[in-house]
Amino acid sequence: MPMIKITLNGQAREIAGGSSVAELLALSGADRQQVAVVVNEQIVRPEERKARILEENDQVDVLVFAGGG
Amino acid sequence: MDPLQLGTYSFSSRLLLGTGKFGSARAMLDAVRSSGTQLVTVALRRFNREQAEDDLFGPLSEIGGITLMPNTSGAATAKEAVRAAHISRELSGSPFIKVEIHPNPHHLMPDPIETYEACRILASEGFLVMPYIPADPVLAKRLEDVGCTSVMPLGSAIGSGQGLSTAAMVSIIIRESGIPVIVDAGLRSPSEACAAMEMGCEAVLVNSAVAVARDPAAMAAAFARAVEAGRQARTAGIMPKSGTAVATSPLTSFLGSAT
Repeated sequence: MPMIKITLNGQAREIAGGSSVAELLALSGADRQQVAVVVNEQIVRPEERKARILEENDQVDVLVFAGGG
Repeated sequence: MDPLQLGTYSFSSRLLLGTGKFGSARAMLDAVRSSGTQLVTVALRRFNREQAEDDLFGPLSEIGGITLMPNTSGAATAKEAVRAAHISRELSGSPFIKVEIHPNPHHLMPDPIETYEACRILASEGFLVMPYIPADPVLAKRLEDVGCTSVMPLGSAIGSGQGLSTAAMVSIIIRESGIPVIVDAGLRSPSEACAAMEMGCEAVLVNSAVAVARDPAAMAAAFARAVEAGRQARTAGIMPKSGTAVATSPLTSFLGSAT
């Protein structure tokens, strides 16, 4: 599979073409906790992450809850 | 203490706690436990595997009995706040959202126009909307009209510790409001939280005063007691002020007459 370029949390990144959101989370170490995933401003729910294949130039944000007032 | 009713939710604690600024996640979790709070604010942040301690969802869930109220901090516009609310709800599973839109990092004062617009949209979508607002009675009423669950006027600037400098305006908001009024921001000490409750606030939201204390867990407990005392005093009925002395002992002058 050729590599594709995506943006993950604001940083450029290359991953294997055909990778799913779930695979990206596992590669990033973000698969062991509750995270929210947004691809191109659309929320990708947990049950959709295996089927959602990433494409060139996708903007991916992976978010957690941190401290805040 | 009588329960705090927010939408269909009922809470036995009237102290809402923020989770920012703590020295460590452990200190924050200890403070949450000792405060007895049941409604806790959190903020969205990008995942970073190097900072696993950032992720509070798991540890807060383990405490039990805690409902999350994500904030929209970082949003400078209504559109951004609505987006943050949607992502937060996905993550928290909680209908509560603290709408917090402050475009200027120097004073962190809430933008009333963007806040109003975000609240209008989010309330229509079924969120339990809790906006952080300037202590403005007209804005508070308008937010009630669009379906907010509560209004949260600031006591003073976020993190300033200047206390309830808006007391006169908050009193008007309380008098006019048909929804719970919660003072959020600026409280420095338990006595100020107690005063807010005596005035008729339904709850207070505290973060910095607990987080930066030498012993956050102890300070959280002190705030919890103060909030309880203030609420109890309010419901017990605080005596009216009098312009003159009103004697508490009989003034029969038997001592002077025994000659």
